[in-house]
Amino acid sequence: MQLRFDPAGAMPLAEARKPLSASREAAPGSVSTHLVPMLRTKLAQIERAEMRDWGALPFGDARINRCFPAGGLPFGRLHDITGAGREQETPAVVTGFAAALAARAMRGGVLLWALQRDDFYAPGLQAFGVDPDRVILVRVDKDDQAFAVVEDAARTRGVSAVVGEVSSLDLTAGRRLQLVCERSGATAFMLRRRLYAAPRTRSKHDEISSAATRWRIASAPSESEEPGLGPARCSVRLERNRGGRTGGWIMEMRNAAEAACALRVVAELADHAPAAELKDAKPRWPGHRNHDGERAVSGRG
Amino acid sequence: MTENARCLAAVDARAASEGLFVGQSLTDALALWPHARIVEAEPEEDLRALTRLADWCLRFSPSVAVDAPDGIFIDIEGCAHLWGGEAPMAQMLRQRLAAQDLPARLAITDTFAAAWALARFGTDDVTITVGDDAKRLAQLPIEALRLEQDVAANLRRLGLKTIGQILALPRASLRKRFGAGLLLQIARALGEEEAAHEFRNPPTPWIERAVFAEPLSAPDDLARVVADLSARLCARLDEFGQGARRFEAVFHRVDGEAVRRSVRTALPLREVKRLSALFAAKLESVDPGFGVEVVTLSAARTQALVRAQTDFDCANPQAAAADLAPLIDRLVNRFGADRVWRPSLQESHVPERAVKRIAPLAAPTGRRWSDDQPRPVRLFRKPQPIEALAVAPDDPPFIFHWHGRAHRVRNAEGPERIGAEWWRKPWADNAVDRVRDYYCVEDEAGARFWLFRTGLYGEERPVRWWLHGLFA
Repeated sequence: MQLRFDPAGAMPLAEARKPLSASREAAPGSVSTHLVPMLRTKLAQIERAEMRDWGALPFGDARINRCFPAGGLPFGRLHDITGAGREQETPAVVTGFAAALAARAMRGGVLLWALQRDDFYAPGLQAFGVDPDRVILVRVDKDDQAFAVVEDAARTRGVSAVVGEVSSLDLTAGRRLQLVCERSGATAFMLRRRLYAAPRTRSKHDEISSAATRWRIASAPSESEEPGLGPARCSVRLERNRGGRTGGWIMEMRNAAEAACALRVVAELADHAPAAELKDAKPRWPGHRNHDGERAVSGRG
Repeated sequence: MTENARCLAAVDARAASEGLFVGQSLTDALALWPHARIVEAEPEEDLRALTRLADWCLRFSPSVAVDAPDGIFIDIEGCAHLWGGEAPMAQMLRQRLAAQDLPARLAITDTFAAAWALARFGTDDVTITVGDDAKRLAQLPIEALRLEQDVAANLRRLGLKTIGQILALPRASLRKRFGAGLLLQIARALGEEEAAHEFRNPPTPWIERAVFAEPLSAPDDLARVVADLSARLCARLDEFGQGARRFEAVFHRVDGEAVRRSVRTALPLREVKRLSALFAAKLESVDPGFGVEVVTLSAARTQALVRAQTDFDCANPQAAAADLAPLIDRLVNRFGADRVWRPSLQESHVPERAVKRIAPLAAPTGRRWSDDQPRPVRLFRKPQPIEALAVAPDDPPFIFHWHGRAHRVRNAEGPERIGAEWWRKPWADNAVDRVRDYYCVEDEAGARFWLFRTGLYGEERPVRWWLHGLFA
């Protein structure tokens, strides 16, 4: 890959700032010349202190783990999980994916799940590792209630994973939630769910997210040589990953009782384009059919 | 109105002096006193008014019982000292009732039955007897014992007119002639037996009360008062090592209405900060009207509460519950107890019955879905009717429509036959049929659905397809 240099952006950041501040300040050596960099370092220190490292959840496959600097999905952060197509209304594959991650983020604590529809079914979610004795369900009616519940729960000691169903991830609420998670160590998963009555228009905030990662999940046809249904599959796209790389995979869902991680990578999607390019490709979604052939080859490898 | 004749249900003092009495037929009454103003009796409205009055009386004691049709019992044990004794308290109550144009007769006695008797048949409007109930009762007519009409009539026929005369007779012979009812009433009047009254609030010693000379109406003031009362109540609870799971604040308005707000907690509580925070959310909806003059705060469902250790310990479920309790309380008080729950798996194959809701902090059940039959992650509360086409009667459909979209079935598993549990009532409100054949199908996009078929091909009932859930 070739690095392209932008003449404006080629300058190192520190260099770029110097002439700007020098030209702005009338008297060199005044208080502000020292104050500004000092405050800047202080701010960076504070931010570093806030961004505590709470460990990470490895996926059990190097192809995903290497996308994350911490070697897995970071705990104590906000993660945004979205479905595609019908999944936006009644998230099933999205639910399974979120449950598999949340169950492993519980780490001895409790999982709180804020629902906007009364369709959570514990017998099915048990296969994803959700222990019915350790999950607390709250039924809310609106997005802002869901945010309030998730935030309150994330602050509470003893709650280590929170799932909230919302129709859109408000930027401010998301940022607040991210800060709460960073401070408390609880991992929050916002599961996007367009409610039947909600308008179809996409919020402008959908693209700008304050979450640490954003995932887009869709179902994918399963493969089985024997008659009947093989293990369910889903296509997983990591569209945004703060401090890491994005990617796309086909995963298989397994029973959490038999495997440490309910998700197993079957194949890597070839065109795991960065989020910016994916945005242009969005109208053609679901696009996993395009990769069927490719997956069949590498999936059985 | 009784049978076909209209009768008097109540008469006021003026009418009584004209010779009218309860039970008299309307024609007789009007013949006796043509100027009488007749108002249709509304017993239900009367009871509602009496209940409102009982709520108003809560400012005197937390335990007030409605005694239909025309009485109210107030248990003032341990409350009278707040007014400087029983006589000033009775005086105050009478004044406040008179201010509302409510004529009332009061009796303060050792037993409820004696109070009932003296308030109705005593010579004074206010009777206070402590310790000499029997003597005061002896002079009253036998009706004061609240006897059945025929028992009272029989006694009168024998020339027994006062309670004193009855008390003089051996009780064994009374039982033989008049039944156990009479003895029970005597025992209640003398305090040998306690009558059961339905109190508006269960009697509790955990009550705090604040009275204001100037009525309050600012929400901030109400919040401050509740915080003060919480502090007092919690201090007392702390002193006795108790915590409570239910708190009720009653705001007595100047116009006589009582506004109640209650807070429930998952674990016993006596923390001032948390209690006032829970109430703070509820105070917004309190309408102070022209002002609130009395506020009471009471605690119920108290139980011993030892100071919990605060270290976080995952292995200790009690410590974990103590951490979660404040969160659960906030959620329950905001959304309602039916909105916060934990799923508990049941031994039932009927999908709707396989999960029950239990309290979020209930002890772990340890139950798991043990069957290897697959279950969806989302289950619709009511199965949704869909249009589906199948090749053979026993086949899963090859195409179905849901939400205006066609789904071609690529692969399927089933059927899993689930029958209604015959020892129970038929399927709940969505009673589609008693037997369902479930299929797990996957469409071309890989989405998995849980469908079922009711009815059988070739039978009277038509075959119908339903969508019940979605698999991950």
